[in-house]
Amino acid sequence: MQLQKTILIIEDEKSLREALVDIMNLKNFTSLDARNGKEGVKIALAKHPDLILLDLIMPEMDGLQAFQKIRQDAWGKNVPIIVLTNLSENNERFSINKTSNEQTYYLIKSDWKLHDIVKKIQEILGE
Amino acid sequence: MNKKTSTSASDDIILNLNVLAAEKEDARQKLAITAGKLAMTAKKLAITANEKERVRRKLAITALEKERVRRKLAITATKLATTAKKLAVTAMNLRISHETLERKVSERTKSLEIVSAKEGAILLSIGDGLIATDEIGIIILINKTAEKLLGKRREDVVGRPFSNITLFENETSEPIPLEMHPVSMALRNGTTTTGTTYYNMLKDETRFPVSITVTPVILNGNVIGTIKIFRDITYERDIDKAKTEFVSLASHQLRTPLSTVNWYAEMLLAGDVGELNKRQIKYLQEVYASNQRMVELVNALLDVSSLELGTFVIEPRSTNICVLARNVIHEQKPQINIKKVRFQFICSKNIPHMQADPKLLRMVLQNILSNSIKYTPTGGKIKLSISVIKKRVQIKISDTGYGIPKKQHHKIFTKLFRADNVREKDTDGTGLGLYIVKSIVEKSGGKIWFESPVEDKGTTFFVTLPIKSEVIKSFI
Repeated sequence: MQLQKTILIIEDEKSLREALVDIMNLKNFTSLDARNGKEGVKIALAKHPDLILLDLIMPEMDGLQAFQKIRQDAWGKNVPIIVLTNLSENNERFSINKTSNEQTYYLIKSDWKLHDIVKKIQEILGE
Repeated sequence: MNKKTSTSASDDIILNLNVLAAEKEDARQKLAITAGKLAMTAKKLAITANEKERVRRKLAITALEKERVRRKLAITATKLATTAKKLAVTAMNLRISHETLERKVSERTKSLEIVSAKEGAILLSIGDGLIATDEIGIIILINKTAEKLLGKRREDVVGRPFSNITLFENETSEPIPLEMHPVSMALRNGTTTTGTTYYNMLKDETRFPVSITVTPVILNGNVIGTIKIFRDITYERDIDKAKTEFVSLASHQLRTPLSTVNWYAEMLLAGDVGELNKRQIKYLQEVYASNQRMVELVNALLDVSSLELGTFVIEPRSTNICVLARNVIHEQKPQINIKKVRFQFICSKNIPHMQADPKLLRMVLQNILSNSIKYTPTGGKIKLSISVIKKRVQIKISDTGYGIPKKQHHKIFTKLFRADNVREKDTDGTGLGLYIVKSIVEKSGGKIWFESPVEDKGTTFFVTLPIKSEVIKSFI
């Protein structure tokens, strides 16, 4: 049996976080979750998940800082990160330079169905 | 003796008689001559008498003439007297009128002076800047507000050409050439300009947005000057920006609960956590669809605020508009099928790749196509064609739909506007689509217009875009 892939969900909004955790578990992923950027970075660097879903506006440490911290790490620089946010892509404060790393994706939560996010993850992970 | 004596006496008598006879003859002859002379004299007299008669007659006629003339003269004299009287009256009236006129003129002059003083005071003290020029553009008046706004004193400005005082730039800091200056246009063509996108440049190079109105002063068809009214709208702009930012922030915040509803409804509908009965599915579908509408509204609001704030990230690249259009059509195929619309798509073969942001181009196509589908009744026809006309790409979409009421044509691109005839038929619309499309098209150097001559007989929208979009600069 193929080893389940681990997805780290970094999302401060409880209802969204739980929905993501549920669907990941339903679709045979192992899920990890964190409630803010700081927690997320810690878990990411400790557990080396296969893919990270990252919200942007969060307390403690926002998604942009978490993104930069993870990308600074030797392991983290190549981990696929899906920035899953409700901010439009052109938000200056959170603009993430996607061209620097192909393993970064940007999805708008309200425009994406959960099942399509799962499909995207499967596609990224080559499943 | 007696006889002798008697003979001699008789001889004597005879002689005497002869002498007498001769004398008589002589006398008769003389008489005859005299008679002839008399007759001649009589004739002459008669002629003279005739002459005299003629003369007398002539004299009589002349007297008559004289009499007539005299009478005429008398009448004329009477008339003249009457006229003289009238003239006297007229002269008197004239004098009175003249006096009245003079009084009126002086009254009017006084009131004009009052009006002029009042107007002067109004012009000089109004809250908007005011600059008046003569017919060649020399400044003749500047009010206090204008002095303050431009940082100049009246004495430095009056008597100088307007072009030395106020220069304009457009939104993107490009100077507006002198011939396109609203004052030049007013002087040249009598054009009135109203706008809010000009920036006044001050001497120290600072710039601020102004709302201006330039009006020509026209007398007997000639432009004899201009009046420019302008107002610093920095504050309004700031408020507008704050408002747009607020909408943007609020919309982002709205997306979180919308995502929650979306995702949970989706999982329920997919049966991820167990089967639902038919009614539960139906209800949930309603929840999901309504939520989806809200998502679309929020997205449209965010697009609007991005456009207004100029924060759209523009990524122009070589774009095949035909392929893009096909994708958009494909996405909207379900709606086309539901409405049983006969759809025709024609893309000319010669269309070059455009240098444009596909994301924006997609938004334009999506909006005009979805409008056509929404506002065409079941069984209608829609035709979308893309061609190159005069080195520009033209998108033309015509439908057999409800059309746009004539009296609302001018409002159709206004933010949040929805035409009366579709408001009842379709409650989904946000009234933002065409506003967004127009902003994108115009900022891309293109044009959008429509034809909808008769209500219920369809609409045709036209969009033209430059092949190599000048875009972008103006967005940032």
